[in-house]
Amino acid sequence: MLWRGQILKIKKFKVFREFGILVALFVMVIIFTAINPIYISFNNIIDIVQQSAINGLIAIGITFAILTAGIDLSVGSSLAIVIVVVGKFLTSGVNPIFAIIIGVLIGFLLGVFNGLLITKLKIQPFVATLGTMSVYRGIAYVITGGWPVLNMPRDFRNLVSGRVFNIIPIPIFILIGFAIITHILLNHTRFGTYVYSIGGNEEATRLSGVNVEKNKVLAYGLVGVGAALAALVLLARLGTGEPTAGQGYELDAIAAAAIGGTSLAGGKGSVLGTFLGAILLSALKVGLIVTGVDTFWQFIATGSIIIIAVYLEHVQSQLYKK
Amino acid sequence: MSDQEIIQFDNVTKVFPGVKALDKVSFKINKGEVHALLGENGAGKSTLLNILHGVYQGYEGNVLIEKDVINFENPHEAIQFGISKVHQEVSLIPELTVGQNITLNYEPKKRLLIDYDKMHEEANKILDKLHCNFRSEDLVKHLSIGEMQMISIAKALFHNAKVISLDEPTASLTTSETETLFQIIRELKENDITIIYVSHRLEEIFKIADKATVLRDGKYIKTFDVKDTTKDELIRSMVGRDVSSFAKRNKPRRFSDEVVLEVNNLTLKPYFKNISFKLRKGEILGFAGLVGAKRTDVVRTIFGANHKDEGEIIVHGNKVDIKSPLDGLENGIGLIPENRKTQGFVKNLNNANNIGLACLDNFKNHIFLDHEEKIENSKIFIDKINLKPKDPLYLTRELSGGNQQKVVLAKWLSTNVDIFIFDEPTKGVDVGAKQEIYKLLEDLVAQGKSIIMVSSELPEVIGMSDRIVVMKEGKLTKILDHKKFSEEKIMHYAMEGTDFEDKKV
Repeated sequence: MLWRGQILKIKKFKVFREFGILVALFVMVIIFTAINPIYISFNNIIDIVQQSAINGLIAIGITFAILTAGIDLSVGSSLAIVIVVVGKFLTSGVNPIFAIIIGVLIGFLLGVFNGLLITKLKIQPFVATLGTMSVYRGIAYVITGGWPVLNMPRDFRNLVSGRVFNIIPIPIFILIGFAIITHILLNHTRFGTYVYSIGGNEEATRLSGVNVEKNKVLAYGLVGVGAALAALVLLARLGTGEPTAGQGYELDAIAAAAIGGTSLAGGKGSVLGTFLGAILLSALKVGLIVTGVDTFWQFIATGSIIIIAVYLEHVQSQLYKK
Repeated sequence: MSDQEIIQFDNVTKVFPGVKALDKVSFKINKGEVHALLGENGAGKSTLLNILHGVYQGYEGNVLIEKDVINFENPHEAIQFGISKVHQEVSLIPELTVGQNITLNYEPKKRLLIDYDKMHEEANKILDKLHCNFRSEDLVKHLSIGEMQMISIAKALFHNAKVISLDEPTASLTTSETETLFQIIRELKENDITIIYVSHRLEEIFKIADKATVLRDGKYIKTFDVKDTTKDELIRSMVGRDVSSFAKRNKPRRFSDEVVLEVNNLTLKPYFKNISFKLRKGEILGFAGLVGAKRTDVVRTIFGANHKDEGEIIVHGNKVDIKSPLDGLENGIGLIPENRKTQGFVKNLNNANNIGLACLDNFKNHIFLDHEEKIENSKIFIDKINLKPKDPLYLTRELSGGNQQKVVLAKWLSTNVDIFIFDEPTKGVDVGAKQEIYKLLEDLVAQGKSIIMVSSELPEVIGMSDRIVVMKEGKLTKILDHKKFSEEKIMHYAMEGTDFEDKKV
């Protein structure tokens, strides 16, 4: 029976897609290790994952916007607002746990606001979030008058960016925890099914009686949560809250999602893919530094990898089309 | 007008997978005449035009223009040969000027740059000929639909067209714009330009056309001299088909007097006005009409995909306010839309997910989605609809058209809706699957569900319906009882809208 064969093909394809990123990662590790064996050391690997935490958190969030066939350019600015607000709270002696909750909530609401602009006012996601990218950045400046918020309390910094058993940095756990939760949301809730189906065919989804607007707003809320978690990690690591923080982060996040196989046309992608995409970008950056590649060439290499990865993804999906 | 032939179709046959769209069509069109093409939806008019204009290749038989066999690779070649088409949906670029649109891809140039002075001069010359009161320099987006149509004709003249075909040109024109268009057509005719005119409006045929060729089910029926024929003769030749088709009811009709859905004076400007009808429990209510009758807009409005302007919808005796498909679903109304690919299913979801799309909220676990339950649930309905293959994990887009349609139906079967709206349920579906879908329709009404079925296939709507609502251009012209169905009657109400006099037949 022909169709059985086709199913096998499709199932293999699903396994293979994230497998492809793993292969790329593996090849990269071998090359860098061959040039400089220090690359494969435990500490360096921990470093790679830790460095991917901020981009990974944002990228996983933005994956939800992209899956609905949208985009969120405002993540870097949302991050800045969360950083300065949480920073202000912390320096005025608010309980760190409470400050963290407030921070995540603010991120969620900033995302929801994007979602409302997109669904209620029917502004294209690119334009709506291009607007809020500037608005949110401005708000961050207004809150601090342009100055950084200094001297984060030690207990907050230890709580968010300390090390478990003095070995594994906490941001790694935050990244993995967020990845697991969002993976479950995407694959084991109605919301996740609707996110895929909205990106795959919004009209058919609407005509199935699904509340498309509500689910889109929630998706953008989740993007904001990712940005807020990244803000907390950054704040704890640096110890200061700069209103300029996070500029350009949206592009790294989109790159990680794209490398991870998320289609910018919507409806296709996964949390695991984006997670691996973020790790791959980080592994590349660390590798280029470890092997002593000139800074200017690092830009060229990073950009090329993005283009090559997405092209391979395209070739792969063409191969599996009938 | 002369007797010199310009176009000759010689045994033209075009086969699409599963359908013979044209079957040995042969006839001639003379130079400088207005030649109407008539036929029901799907009679083959568009296919014939698409062959003439180089949109389709790979047909049998020959098309001759001025005695030469032509074989256009694409529409572009046809245009250069002098065969131009004025599109049903005007295809112009709104942000460009009239002149830019007319000369698109053939802009006059001065060395490397576009010579705008020459472009506008040439375009304005043509616009003057067509008595247009807009200029080549105007932006297309500021013009009315009628004016845009003039640009399409101007474009044809710019390419020195010998033959211009107009496909439903008056569909969105006002009365005075239509008059202007007819004046232009008469002038083009005087200049020996041949016009092929496709329209469902018979009165227009008698106003403007010299000859009328009727197609039916892809076959050539007859070419009439318009001055020697009548509307009734034309209608008869369009529908005179063997009605012993397989779309028929096998189970006893069992609708009750209980009204499940009542629609009063439903209006959505500018699409349709004052639509009122009742749907009874266990009934199949057919919606017949020609393209442009706005039947789809009516049913989408009942379901909540469009927002009504006026009128009321009463479901099971309760007046309801349906503003979205979600409201439709909650009031027990489901829509199986006309276009499966863009409206019916999600291309990257498998069958289980597509079927589950409308019913996931009914599952036991309200926080997490139970994939097992979803798949088991979909299996029940996959069995009911006899899907091939019976695999919940199969991607819906990989199925045949008929099976895709069944998946969309299963999506609604899995909900609690009791009013099913089918918009062209068998469009693009092969014969075997058609019969299965008819059987599913009958099963539904046997279970006491009620069905509204929009269909442009007369045998289908006649064979399956208990009553038929006939619409013409956004108005309900007649509701017929199944004892009074006939193709002629339906076509009469769909084309004329006036009362049908039996004695004329």
